Amino acid sequence: MPEGYLPIFIFLICAILFPLVLLAIFRYLRPSLPIPVKLEAYECGIRAASNARGRYTVRFYIVAILFVVFDVETIFLFPWAVRFRQLAWFGVAEVAVFLSILIVGYIWAYKKGALEWV
Amino acid sequence: MLAPVTTAHYLVLSAILLLIGVVGILTRRNVIVLMMSIEIILNAVNVNLIAFARNLDQLEGQVFAIFVICVAVAEAAVGLGILIALFRNKETVQVDEIDLLKW
Amino acid sequence: MTETVFFYCFAALAVAGAILTVTMRNAVHCAISLIASLGGVAGLYLMLHAEFLFAVQIVLYIGGIMVLFLFVIMLVNLEAAARERQFHRSWVGGLLCAGGTGAMLAWFWLRGAGTLRLPPAVQPTPREGGNVESLAMVLFRDYLVPFELASLLLLVAIVGGVMMAKKRI
Repeated sequence: MPEGYLPIFIFLICAILFPLVLLAIFRYLRPSLPIPVKLEAYECGIRAASNARGRYTVRFYIVAILFVVFDVETIFLFPWAVRFRQLAWFGVAEVAVFLSILIVGYIWAYKKGALEWV
Repeated sequence: MLAPVTTAHYLVLSAILLLIGVVGILTRRNVIVLMMSIEIILNAVNVNLIAFARNLDQLEGQVFAIFVICVAVAEAAVGLGILIALFRNKETVQVDEIDLLKW
Repeated sequence: MTETVFFYCFAALAVAGAILTVTMRNAVHCAISLIASLGGVAGLYLMLHAEFLFAVQIVLYIGGIMVLFLFVIMLVNLEAAARERQFHRSWVGGLLCAGGTGAMLAWFWLRGAGTLRLPPAVQPTPREGGNVESLAMVLFRDYLVPFELASLLLLVAIVGGVMMAKKRI
């Protein structure tokens, strides 16, 4: 096990257990008298416009795809950033090729109007 | 006293995860859950790769795991896109209702 | 000792999350148990001295792919699907196939446990810098071509995902 992670692990376990234990205790302490008005979603006092489980539009998904793909790009750029000096111009050239291929995709998506919120 | 963790422990865990993923793929009807099972299998593979990278003290396994994650992203993006296109045309996400080519 | 305890904690989290993922009825619950499972696997990466992959697992898998899954679940309104049968008609056959694979693996394990001689885990050689630094040198020196090909794969993923999801191209 890597050194120095023990406090983090213990902290993680405490953080997971804390809400679970509290929820379990309060389940038996609190009175439970559900009436329809109480069970409604609370939206600052106004009546709820629609069910929260309704369908979303597909535009969110297209934005999410672009986000995840460029997330991967960041993951690849991160090791390059920490070894920037040792890799020198070789690394710059490598990453330039990598980015230029991805930017083609970005420009394509832009041209197709995938980023427009119509 | 508990035995110290060896590479074999990680291999057994990886095999268990792989089997759970296979059970999910072979028995569930919901396409989204099928794709989640694929993610479980890819994770089992990654555990295996990294356990051996640790055992042999080489970094190649970790680099390979990064590429596996990269492939998982591409698979999820395109696969879920196909699922959306399917849902738009057929209004279903159950695999055994998508049987137009089957008879 | 502590290492063993934490290994079993994380392994239990990973396996329990995976089992819940393939058995839960509601797809949102499946996704949340899968997140728990991925978190357990991330902890195992940390115990295997793969700090960078631990971060990648959290940022990319939990923060990226699972968000994508949750978006799709909300997109294709699954309330009707949650009420239907969850396992298809030939689930016995599927279970038998998986059980057969498991029995085969177990058999190989029992037969070959003596011949499988893994070299004892060596102490990690102290490298200059940390995990990310040494990973960068391997990734950008030895694995140059796969790295460039990964960008092509991502390009295909952008094109494929947008083509499939967009109504009118």
